[in-house]
Amino acid sequence: MLPIDAAAHSSRWRRRHPVDKAVLGLGLTVLAISLPPWPGAALVLVTSLAVLLGPAGVPARRLWRAYRVPLGFCVTGALTLLVQVGGPDGFVSLADEGPLRAGELLLRTSAASLGVLLFAFTTPMSDLLPRLVKAGVPAPVVDVALVTYRMSFLLLDSVRRIRQAQAARLGHTSRAAEWRSLAGLGATAFVRAFDRATRLQAGLAGRGYDGTLRVLVPEARVSVRFTAASCGLLAALAALTLVLERALP
Amino acid sequence: MHIAEGFLPPAHAVAWGVASAPFVVHGVRSLTREVKEHPESTLLLGASGAFTFVLSALKLPSVTGSCSHPTGTGLGAILFRPPIMVVLGTITLLFQALLLAHGGLTTLGANVFSMAIVGPWAGYAIYKLLRRFDVPLMVAVFFGAFLADLSTYCVTSVQLALAFPDPSSGFLGALGKFGSIFAVTQIPLAVSEGLLTVLVMRLLVQSSKGELTRLGVLLAKKQSRTETETEAVAR
Repeated sequence: MLPIDAAAHSSRWRRRHPVDKAVLGLGLTVLAISLPPWPGAALVLVTSLAVLLGPAGVPARRLWRAYRVPLGFCVTGALTLLVQVGGPDGFVSLADEGPLRAGELLLRTSAASLGVLLFAFTTPMSDLLPRLVKAGVPAPVVDVALVTYRMSFLLLDSVRRIRQAQAARLGHTSRAAEWRSLAGLGATAFVRAFDRATRLQAGLAGRGYDGTLRVLVPEARVSVRFTAASCGLLAALAALTLVLERALP
Repeated sequence: MHIAEGFLPPAHAVAWGVASAPFVVHGVRSLTREVKEHPESTLLLGASGAFTFVLSALKLPSVTGSCSHPTGTGLGAILFRPPIMVVLGTITLLFQALLLAHGGLTTLGANVFSMAIVGPWAGYAIYKLLRRFDVPLMVAVFFGAFLADLSTYCVTSVQLALAFPDPSSGFLGALGKFGSIFAVTQIPLAVSEGLLTVLVMRLLVQSSKGELTRLGVLLAKKQSRTETETEAVAR
């Protein structure tokens, strides 16, 4: 299982309905990209961190391991805003407003990422996917997504083991060997995926498979109190941003 | 490289979502029709989705000495056709955003447009064109995967240049800026992905002829006349 999904399964908010967590987490993300980066995104960033480490109970180390991935992309992307092409100072020169634009972009992306991480760290995929049918996603697409999700872990595990076996047979000692090993890895993943699908099909056919995958979904109800509190928090953040924007330089 | 969460301004995020929607709807209709006609396809399509997800997680040695991930869109489009690949690509991008913090939900529309629509269609178009002119399978596969990878990053450059025009030279300057950064890393990577896809396809032709025939990549072998006559006598 992947670390974020594993954390979601043992989350304090695991039993909450995904809608509750979507309103809060994705609401924070929407606020982060719609409000002015300063002070709006900064406020969202602090609030998201406080909710993640506080009430949601996400371990700080796990959060950092997941957060550093998008943060790396944000920093790399923001660096390009520091320079401009053409102009009186030469073909490539430092942009006047570059640091400001890069800083604003960093604030916006890092705050938005935390909002999605709040949702991802508290909502296992297995709780979310079956409920997408009620949200209007066609059942066949949800079924394909469910099989994809469950088979991904098995395939990732197979790939890890094949890599270990290849390394033990000196499959990564030279560039040519590495290419051969990688190609073998891709082809074996394909063969294993189709083999598993065929065996799964045979097993399901023996159990009267009629084209729909029925799975048990843990019962949960949308909490009016939680959702109202989340909406209140989001409204307060938006209002505070508007007030501070006038007061701050 | 996926566009990270919150990287695009809201108007751009919505616009790319709207641009992707017709392709995704078309793909969903194709997939729904396929599943209704052949219920067992659900499992094969799920397996294909998992394969795409795992393929994008493989580390690819680059010609420049660095390391990156293949997009997998070229191989996916050749094996499963672009309309199905749009849906599988969207599911993969959703999983990457939620399970790996790679990409994002607000940038899903933009990432779907570059990785699940333009990449597969461009790769598949060149692959089919070359096959029509009887170019060998592996050459067509190489150019299909190469173009799928490269077109994905060209579209990503356009998306970023539109969102962040250069203060001095506007959209074109920004396109040159993002494009040149991607060119340094992505042209070697596109070559690497093309080579890897050829190696994978060679192994698949050896080990999974049945699956490739079923997917329509290889033509079904015509029964020889003597075989048919023997069968007829046996019946």
